[in-house]
Amino acid sequence: MATDKELSDFLKSVEKRAFKRTAFAVRDDDAALDIVQDSMIRLAEKYVDRPAAELPLLFQRILSNATMDWFRRQKVRSAVVHNFSEFGGAGDEDGEFDILEVLDNLEGTVGTESASDSVSREQILRIIEVEVGELPTRQREAFLLRYWEELDVAETASVMGCSEGSVKTHCSRAVHALAKALKAKGLAP
Amino acid sequence: MTRNTTSTFSLPDRDGLEARFGVRVASMLGERAQSTAPDISERLRFAREQALSRAQAARRQVQAATAPVVVSRGRSAALASPLGWWFKLGSAAPLALLVLGLAGIAHVHDKAQIAAVAEVDAALLSDDLPPDAYTDPGFAEYLKTTRE
Repeated sequence: MATDKELSDFLKSVEKRAFKRTAFAVRDDDAALDIVQDSMIRLAEKYVDRPAAELPLLFQRILSNATMDWFRRQKVRSAVVHNFSEFGGAGDEDGEFDILEVLDNLEGTVGTESASDSVSREQILRIIEVEVGELPTRQREAFLLRYWEELDVAETASVMGCSEGSVKTHCSRAVHALAKALKAKGLAP
Repeated sequence: MTRNTTSTFSLPDRDGLEARFGVRVASMLGERAQSTAPDISERLRFAREQALSRAQAARRQVQAATAPVVVSRGRSAALASPLGWWFKLGSAAPLALLVLGLAGIAHVHDKAQIAAVAEVDAALLSDDLPPDAYTDPGFAEYLKTTRE
């Protein structure tokens, strides 16, 4: 059973990412805060007897379900289903795109303020945030769960309710779409 | 910097590259997420505290459900616990014994009464004087004059 401190530490460590991830999905900060709060309370009330190690996966599941519930309440389910069934736009087919260029450029910005002649670090971060927000819902969900929440493929599939193969596909397409978008914004040589 | 943009990576290389890219972007995203507006941070803190208080309440409920507690039963108090079924059984046993005891006493009393009546009947039947004699008017007259 997780102690109060373990639960508090866990929630503190995850709350900002949870908010951001939800805000990406619902595009409304107030709604995102409500969803995160509901998810925290659901976790605390229903899974208080679970060990601390199980909390991350449980919380991600609850958060995803709460977000879906919000969409249902908003009666835009058809739009969501449409987004969820998307497998990316034309850019996702660009398998030959060399993401190494953008990666090199991004890694070159670490700890430096003059990595780019024309774009400050703050601007880079903002561009990345915008581009992640622009990803199709399922791709963004898979990308954030895998690389931001650091869940493995099986855990991500469990949270998203899809196969591991779908997770890999979503992640790969998200990476390529992001690399292409960032390059278009001048974040690649 | 020139680079061949045609992908010549094998699948594992490509997966690794995608993972590196994903981790890099996510870490930059995390950096940005840490600088959330104060009002949002405050609401998140409030949400966390709400969740913690609910967790404490839920934990108390779990403990209450597993630990014995004193509960009132009319004008008396008794211990209740998750073993309530056994407790109820234990409470009912003396009552059942009392009922059985009373039934036993009533049975013994009835048997004693029946035995006494049977004894009188047996004495009458086994007497030298036949029972029909008591219905004879002559014999009744004889008894009356004898007493006088």
